Amino acid sequence: MTLRTLVRSDWLGLLVAVVGLSAGLAVSVRQFNTEINQYVVLLNLSVTLIVAFAQMVVLAIGHMNLAIGAMGGLVAVITGGLMERWGVPIPLAMAIGVASGALMGLVNAVVTLRTGINPFIVTLATASVYSGINLGITGAIPFYNLPAEFVAFGQARTGPIPHLLVWTVVTGLALAVILRTTVFGRQLFALGGNPRAAELSGLPVTRLVIGAHILSGILVAVAAILLMARFGSGQPTIGQNWLMPSFAGPILGGAALEGGSVSIIGTALASGLVALLENSLVLVQADPFWVEFLLGALILGAIGPSRFRTLYRGRGRSRLATLQATRGLQP
Amino acid sequence: MTTEIRPSVTPALAASPDGAPAEAPTAPAGDAARALGHEARPVVLETRGVRKQFPGVLAVDDVSIQLRAGEIHALVGENGAGKTTLIKIITGNHHPDAGQLIVNGRDVVFSSARDALAAGIAVVHQERNLVSRFTGGENIMLERIPSRGRFFVDTKALNAEAQRWLDRLQINVAANVPVSQLSVAQMQLIEVARALSHQSNILLLDEPTASITPTEAAILFDLLRRLRDEGVAIVFVSHKLEEIFSLCNRVTVLRDGRVVGHDQDVAGMTRDRLVTQMIGRSETVTVLPDRPDHDHEELLSVHGLVNETGAEGVDLAVHKGEILGLYGLVGAGRSEVAKSIIGVDRMIAGEIRVGGIPAKIRNPREALQRYGIGYVSENRKEEGLILIHSVAANVSVTIWRRLERLLGWIPVRAVNDAVRPYVERLDIRTPSLATSVGTLSGGNQQKVSVAKWLAAKARVLIVDEPTAGIDVRTKGYLHELIWELAAQGLGVIVISSDMPEVVKLADRIAVMSRGKVAGELQNTRDYAEMSERIMAFIHTNGVANSFGVGKHVPSEDRPAAGAA
Repeated sequence: MTLRTLVRSDWLGLLVAVVGLSAGLAVSVRQFNTEINQYVVLLNLSVTLIVAFAQMVVLAIGHMNLAIGAMGGLVAVITGGLMERWGVPIPLAMAIGVASGALMGLVNAVVTLRTGINPFIVTLATASVYSGINLGITGAIPFYNLPAEFVAFGQARTGPIPHLLVWTVVTGLALAVILRTTVFGRQLFALGGNPRAAELSGLPVTRLVIGAHILSGILVAVAAILLMARFGSGQPTIGQNWLMPSFAGPILGGAALEGGSVSIIGTALASGLVALLENSLVLVQADPFWVEFLLGALILGAIGPSRFRTLYRGRGRSRLATLQATRGLQP
Repeated sequence: MTTEIRPSVTPALAASPDGAPAEAPTAPAGDAARALGHEARPVVLETRGVRKQFPGVLAVDDVSIQLRAGEIHALVGENGAGKTTLIKIITGNHHPDAGQLIVNGRDVVFSSARDALAAGIAVVHQERNLVSRFTGGENIMLERIPSRGRFFVDTKALNAEAQRWLDRLQINVAANVPVSQLSVAQMQLIEVARALSHQSNILLLDEPTASITPTEAAILFDLLRRLRDEGVAIVFVSHKLEEIFSLCNRVTVLRDGRVVGHDQDVAGMTRDRLVTQMIGRSETVTVLPDRPDHDHEELLSVHGLVNETGAEGVDLAVHKGEILGLYGLVGAGRSEVAKSIIGVDRMIAGEIRVGGIPAKIRNPREALQRYGIGYVSENRKEEGLILIHSVAANVSVTIWRRLERLLGWIPVRAVNDAVRPYVERLDIRTPSLATSVGTLSGGNQQKVSVAKWLAAKARVLIVDEPTAGIDVRTKGYLHELIWELAAQGLGVIVISSDMPEVVKLADRIAVMSRGKVAGELQNTRDYAEMSERIMAFIHTNGVANSFGVGKHVPSEDRPAAGAA
């Protein structure tokens, strides 16, 4: 990468912020430098990053997935149940967990395509369905007796680096390759960039929507399994607080909410920045509620400029046309 | 007769928010104004040294224009010359970086479109700006809906007031008809009515005729002439030079953001001089070369096509190496036929044959991949291009599958190599293949949307309004391109409401009206003869004038013009 493309890239600001904040914390807050603190930050990040990726792939086609947390919870329960109750071997249980995530993504996609209802409402409804199944199966009781190797893997670390992070990095790289260098990835972006043009250009729209949601389901499942390994238990509550971070990463990372433009590096850096901010609030012993406040404020702050960008891009249009566009009315 | 442009409006309706009646700038009396020479008419709008820079482009630079009451002033120039930017500066949508804006002799600074409206400047933008679910009346009154009590819309007063404007302008459309049921041309008139209903004495029209037929345009022109005679100052932007000569009094020419011909008398202009000013050199008349004869093998035919979107039994055929012109009024169902062919709009009845064999085309993907049929949409921004993506991505979108290697991998270089020949062949002016299409000019965008179908190696190409809103020079390029494609053996269907274009390009012309092909003509390329014969087909089908069909306001309900 040349210096020029680096300077032009959308995520340079984020990189500067991450490096700057790390440096600032390292200098000013003593506890930040402890191995255990850095380990905890990275451990959190290794899960939230994949959650953010799961949202990012549907944002790429201009959809969203509000069922992300419910899907994660159900995957955790299925995988945990298979290991604890039926003694299914770890790799097989994990594979089934991932497959169930993919299946839930498929359901989201098919309902969206068949009914023509927008994915916001569809995934809001399926979220309720999935968490209902989850609680129905478990009665809200976690699976505590997971295989020792599985739990050990979740807690393993080398210095401040949790071994889970390796999985996250591998997943991120694989995703980058899929989105950036394959036909499927290009077609996803084209679909998100202009669904009508994509259809008229002969792209397999149905297959792409299904593909994006399945990919989202798989990523959710990976995140859920990593989190189980970390907790050492299959908690039905896994995923309950995923929604915010899932949007925070991609949106702060520069995703266009209309679709067609998401950045993997941006998402990763933004998730990192959020993790650092959370950590700094914890270190200065601020009330944890402020963390939530901060996340919300950050997202609003990020959407503002992106909204502005859209308005600017549409500067040929009058305010009325913009209003119509944002409200989905036909001009 | 002295005609006052404003109907008497009840104070409650015309009032500004604080309750004071809106101050109406006095328009000069019509006959008196017309009797005066150009110099004697008052200057109502003036820009001095206006400049606007956008990232990467100096859109307008040191532009000074003068607009006088009672004149229709043409603003012409190629795409990207700065016409639209200038209009948006005058209407407060853009803030100029430098220069002055003087309205009725007073220096003004507009911070929004509202300010301009308050100063009596109304505009009809290039894009439709109507809420389609609302009625024409509601659209006209959108910013000042009359209410009963505080909360309830007074529909009666609203319709009455809107109708008064429509009648005043002699627009034959009822105020209570939803916009979605109107023709494009009627929508255009509603927009003019809405613009003028703001007590405006300055009216700007940005390419108002881009999507309406000559017959419909004539009705719009009648209205504009009447307004001119009443003292309204009108700025008229169009790429159709015939319109400038038949309608306008004065003409200002922009090129590359600068004024190259200032406030000239149209009567003393020639077409050649105008074009020379616009493009910076004299117009090269392209004589389209003879095309080789192909064996007239039928590529695509449509038999008795009926669909839900307006086609009521359409028969068409296009052969190898042939250009079929599909002419018709907007709303005649031409694009809908194309969309049924490629499997977007559902067919209720009829048959499509490709190479003589019945074909079931369920979606555009099958149309392209199995049958080699491509459709270049009339609506390049909404349906043709992915504006935020690169030139390379837009051109290659149809061929990724062909470029793919192991496991779906496509190297960037393979894409660029595949795209480059088409970019060069169509002379697409772009800084690089990675430049996003949204930043290119309209003509270049249109070339990109054609390029992707060339890359896809379509055998039949349906191009829908290929040169709508495109300047003279680029139009010429696109015509040559279509010609050349047919020479290479493609079957091309050109859908167009631009009659000169159809007569120039087509070998055969199918005239569509009311969901049917009213007739088919062998093109002699004699414009006078062909246009007469084409219009004859449309007239016999009873829709020569698509205004107010079935929506006539009973004439006794309509006060005589000027009497209101």
